[in-house]
Amino acid sequence: MNFDRFALTAEEFIAETNVLFYLNDAVTQLLEHKEEYIQFGVARYFAEYFSSVKNGNHVLFREFSYVKATPHNRASFLRIFWRCFRQIGKNGDLLAVLEYCSLLQLICPDYPPEMVQSAAKIVLIDDAMDCLVSFSDFLYAFQIQFYYGEFLESVSVIYQDLLSGKSPNTVIVPTSTSVEHLVSAVEDEASQEGVDSTLFTQCIMGLCERFKHSHPSPAAIRDILENTQRVSFYGFLIAMARNEKISQEIGALPSKSDLLIDPEMDQELERLIAQISISPTSNSSGSAAGLREPPRKASPRKSLHPRKRIEMESDGSTEETDSSEN
Amino acid sequence: MRPQRKAGSGAARFLAPTVNSYKLHLAAVKSLVPDKVVPRPLDLQVSKGLTKDIAGDALRINPAKPENRLAALSGTRLAHSPALAFVGDLAGLEHAMLPPPAACGAVMGDLGPQSYRVHPRRLTQSAGAPGSQSNTSHVTAGDVITASALGFPCGGRSHDDYAALPERLDLDRSDSYQCFRRNCVSKHSPAGGRRGLEECPLLERVEKLRLLNLQHNRISCMRNLEHLRWLVFLDLHDNRISHLYGVSTLTSLRVLMLGKNRIQRICGLEKLTNLDVLDLHCNEIPRIENLSHLSELRVLNLAGNRISRVEGLRGLGSLAELNLRRNVISGVAEVDRLPCLRRLFLSSNCIGSFDDLACLGESGSLCELTLDGNPVAQETWYRQAALRCVPHLRTLDMKRITEEERRMACVLARKEDEKKRETHKQAVHKEKRRLAIRNAAQQWEELKACLDLPTQNGVKEEVSSEGSPTHSTAHTNGLAQDPSPDEPRRVSPLSAPDCPPGGSENRLRSSSRPNSPRDPRLSEAGGTSVQSLSLSDSHLAELDGETLRLFGPGALEALERGWGVQTAGAVTTIAFRYISFDAIIPTLPRIRVKFPNLAHLVFLETNISRLPQLAALAQVKRLDQLTIHPEGNPVVGLALWRSFLLYRLHHFNLQKLNGVEVTMNDVIAAERLFGTLGHVATTKTPRCRLLLLLEESRKRQLQFLLEGRGRRAGPTPEEDGRQLGEGLSRALFNYPVRDPSGDGQEEGAVDASRRAELVQRYLCGLVQWAADTSIKGEALHKLWPSMFVEMVRDCVLDMRDRPAFRQASLSRLTHTK
Repeated sequence: MNFDRFALTAEEFIAETNVLFYLNDAVTQLLEHKEEYIQFGVARYFAEYFSSVKNGNHVLFREFSYVKATPHNRASFLRIFWRCFRQIGKNGDLLAVLEYCSLLQLICPDYPPEMVQSAAKIVLIDDAMDCLVSFSDFLYAFQIQFYYGEFLESVSVIYQDLLSGKSPNTVIVPTSTSVEHLVSAVEDEASQEGVDSTLFTQCIMGLCERFKHSHPSPAAIRDILENTQRVSFYGFLIAMARNEKISQEIGALPSKSDLLIDPEMDQELERLIAQISISPTSNSSGSAAGLREPPRKASPRKSLHPRKRIEMESDGSTEETDSSEN
Repeated sequence: MRPQRKAGSGAARFLAPTVNSYKLHLAAVKSLVPDKVVPRPLDLQVSKGLTKDIAGDALRINPAKPENRLAALSGTRLAHSPALAFVGDLAGLEHAMLPPPAACGAVMGDLGPQSYRVHPRRLTQSAGAPGSQSNTSHVTAGDVITASALGFPCGGRSHDDYAALPERLDLDRSDSYQCFRRNCVSKHSPAGGRRGLEECPLLERVEKLRLLNLQHNRISCMRNLEHLRWLVFLDLHDNRISHLYGVSTLTSLRVLMLGKNRIQRICGLEKLTNLDVLDLHCNEIPRIENLSHLSELRVLNLAGNRISRVEGLRGLGSLAELNLRRNVISGVAEVDRLPCLRRLFLSSNCIGSFDDLACLGESGSLCELTLDGNPVAQETWYRQAALRCVPHLRTLDMKRITEEERRMACVLARKEDEKKRETHKQAVHKEKRRLAIRNAAQQWEELKACLDLPTQNGVKEEVSSEGSPTHSTAHTNGLAQDPSPDEPRRVSPLSAPDCPPGGSENRLRSSSRPNSPRDPRLSEAGGTSVQSLSLSDSHLAELDGETLRLFGPGALEALERGWGVQTAGAVTTIAFRYISFDAIIPTLPRIRVKFPNLAHLVFLETNISRLPQLAALAQVKRLDQLTIHPEGNPVVGLALWRSFLLYRLHHFNLQKLNGVEVTMNDVIAAERLFGTLGHVATTKTPRCRLLLLLEESRKRQLQFLLEGRGRRAGPTPEEDGRQLGEGLSRALFNYPVRDPSGDGQEEGAVDASRRAELVQRYLCGLVQWAADTSIKGEALHKLWPSMFVEMVRDCVLDMRDRPAFRQASLSRLTHTK
C-alpha cells in the first residue's frame, strides 16, 4: 500500500478510492443543512458521517444517485435492504415486482422502478412479468443487477454481438484472431439458442480486464461458464445470481442458507411486538397476543385507544408544523 | 225471443201457469242480483196474481191493484220486474236477449246504485197505473231532466185528467181499452191492446196535440207522428225505438224524451231546430254527432250510453246542461265551445287524470260538475285538484265548494308549481352534476393515459438498452403500473369515446357498490339532502349529510373555502374521486384542522400506486376508517399494502380498513413484517441524517436527546434510538410532498449546482494543498539525510577553533543585547 501511495500522485489516489466522493458529499450535506448541523456540531457531524460510512448505514433514506455511486454504497444498501425486509421473506409470501419496488422506495424514496424490473427479469427469465417472486430469489438477482449493473450492460452488448454473429470488441479482445475463428463457428450454430460459452467467457474476460467499474472476479465467471457448452444471457445472469462465490465477493448478503437468520434483529422484533401487544393484553384478559380469537378483537382495540391517543396527539402537532413548512 | 213473443199470443200465454209460477219464484230469488237484462214480454201471460205476489215479495214493487188487472196484464208494469224478466232465463233463452229493452228500468243493464231512488221532481206524465210510481224509481237524479230545467209546468197528473186536455195525450203504459173508451185513439194495434203499445197509435182529431206521452210502451218504430205539427213535447221514454227517423218532421218539438230505448245513432234531428231538451239516456249511442245545428238546445242527456269521447258539441250555443254519466268517456274536448254550459255531469266514466279535463278550465261558464266514479276521483286532494282545473266551479259532485277548499286548492296549486320548479331545478342540477362527474372521469382517464405513457416509454428505453429486441411491446404493456385487467382498455384514449357515457356511468356505479351497507361510498345518484358546494363542468364538490364528496382536481378548492364550524363539524367522511393522490396530499393536514370529526377517508380513482404514498396519510393524524378502493388505486393490488398501512398508521388505531375490521392479529402481523424496517431505520440511520428526516417537533425531541446524551455521557446509539420511541420509527417513512411551484425547484437546482461547484472548488483546493504538503514532505524526507550531514559538518567546522568560536559567540551575545 505504501508503495502504491507513493507511486500514485495524490490526485490519482483520491480519485481511485472514492475518498473525494464521500468528502464531497459530507461537505455538500453540511452546506445544505447548515442550521441543523451547526447546532449538532460540525465535528460531531463529520465523525458521525464517516462512522456511518464505515458501518454501511449511510445509505439509509439517501437519494438513488448517492446509493449507487460507489461499490461500498451498493453493498451497504443491499445489506440494509436485506436486514429491513428479511421478515417479509421469512413470512414466505411471494410478492409482485411492483411490491419489491415499493419496498425499495421505502428506504430509498426515488429508487427507479426500471431497475427493479430488470432485476425481476433475471428471476423470471425475461417473461411473465406479472408473476410473483420469492424474496430470496429476488434478493440475489437484485444483488447482481444492482451491484454489477454496468458490467451486466456491457455483457449484454457482447452477448448480442455474439448472437448476431459480429465479432465483439475486436479492438479490445487481445486474441482477436482466435475470436474471429470462433465467430465463424458461432455463425454455424446461430440457429441454436444462446452462444458458445467458451467464446463468451473469453469475451467477458477481455471485458473484465479493461472494465473500470466493479465486476465479478474472473474466476467466478469461469466457474459459471465452464460447465456448459452454450449459454443464454439470462441463463448466465441466473447462474451469477445463484453463485455463492460472487455473493461472497460482494459481501453484503449472507449465504443462501443463512438468509433468513438474523437473531439480533429477531430479538429486537420480539421486543417491539411485545410492546405493541402488551398494552391491550394488560387491560383485557391476559390471553396471548397474536392468538386472539376474532370475537374478542373489538375490546382490545377499544382499550388501545387511550394510550394511543396521546401518541397521536404528539404526532399531530409535529405534522402540522411540518406541513406549514411546505 | 221475438218470434216466440209473436207466436205467443192467445192461449199460449196461459199455458202451464203453474210451471211458470215456479220458475217465476226461482227467478224472483235470483233477481235480487239482477245482472242480465231479460225483458220477457211473453211472460206476461203468467198468472197475474202470482206475478204480483212475486213482484211484491221480491222487489217490493207496489203490488198491482186487482181492479187494475188489465193494466197489469198489459205487461208494461210487470214486465219490467226482474222476477218476470228472469223467467226467460229459466226457459233457457237468456242469451238471446236484446240489450236494454223497453221493459223496465229497474232491470236495466245500467242499474246504478241510484236506480232505486225516486226523484221527487221527476217529470212524468204518468198514466196513473198503480205501479207507475215504483217504475219510475229507476230514474236517478242524474238521469232526470228536472222540471225546472225544462221550464214546463208539470206534475203527477191523475190518469183521468188527460181526456180533458185536447192538447195533451198520455199513453203511458197504455191500456188500449181505456184509450178507446175515451175516444181519443181511433186505432190501436191489436197486439198492443193487452200489453202496451207496440207502435205509435195513429191519432186522429188531435192535430193540435202539443204534448204526447208514450212512455213505458213497447214501441219499436216511431210512425204515425208526422202530422202532429204542433207537438211540443214528446215522451217516448222506455220503449224499443232503435232509430230517430220518425221525428224528423216534428219541427215544433221542443222536448224530446227518448230515454231507455235502443237508439244507436244520433241522426234525423236536422229539422228540429227548436229543440230545447233532448233526452237520450240509456241508449246505445257510441258517439256524439249531428247535433251542431241545435242552437236552441239547453239540456242534453246522454247518460248511460257508450260514448268514449266528449266531442261534436260545436254549435250548441245554448246548451246549459250536459249529462254524460255512465259512459266510457276517457277524454273531454270542445266543452270550452259551449258558452252557456253551466252543469256538466261526468260521473261514472273512465277519466284517469285532470289532463283529460284540460278544456274544462277554458270554459268560463261551468259552475257545476260531477266527476265521481272516475278513476281521477280516487286521487288524494281530488276536489282541490278539480277546483284548480276548473276555478269557477261552485258545485262538485253535488256538493258545494267551500271557501276552505278553494283556498286549499290555491295553496295546492302554488305548491305544485313550486314543486315543479324545484323538480326542474333539481333535474338541471342533476344533469350538471352528472356532466361534471363524467368530465372529471374523462379528464382523469386522459391524465392517466398521459401518466402511463411516459412510464411505458421509460420501460421501453430501459428494455432496449438491455439490447434485446425480443422484449416485445406487449411485454412493456404488462409493465404498465396497473394490475387491473381492464386497465388497458380504459387507459387507451381511443377506446374512451367508444364507450357510451351511460355505459361508463353504469360501470362506475356498479364498481362503486359498497362492500358493506354501512360503508358510505360514492353513489352516483345524489339524494335530496345533497348540497352542492362547488360545481363546474369538470369538477364537483358536494356535501351529502356527513359525507363530503369531491370529484375532479378542481374540487379540492372546496376544502379551502370558509367552512362554518357546524358544517365542518358535521363532516365525518370525505371521499375523493378522480383526483391524483399526490394532489390531495398537501390538503391532508388542513383537512384534519378543518374537519375535527373526520373519521373516514375514501379514495377512489386517485392513483395511489406505491407504499410510500400511503405514508402521507399519517398527516391526517386521526382516522377510524380508511377506504382505498381498488379501482384506480394500483396499490391495493399489492399484497403488503394493508400491513404497511396498519404499521405506518398504527397510532391512528384504525377500526376499519376498506370496510374490513382491523384486528389485533393484523396489527401484530404488520409489526412483524415492518418492525425490523422501522427498527433499522431508527437505530442505524446516522443521527445527523435523522435530524433531516424528521419533522419539527420530533427534531426538537431528538436534539434534546442528543444534547442530553452529551451531558450524561454514555449510552450507546442503540439505547438512544430506543429512547426516541417507536413512534419515531414510523415517522421516518414520509412521502415527500412535491413542491408544486416549479420556480422553487429551479432555484433549488441552481442553488445546489452553485453549492456543488463551491464544494468542488473547496475540495480541489484542499486536495491540492494536501497533495502539495505531501509532495513537500516527501521531498524533505528525501533531502533530510544530506541536510543533516551538512548541518553537522558546518557545526564541526565552526567549533574547530574553540577560542575563536567562544569569542565570536560572546560578541554575538553582547551585540544582541
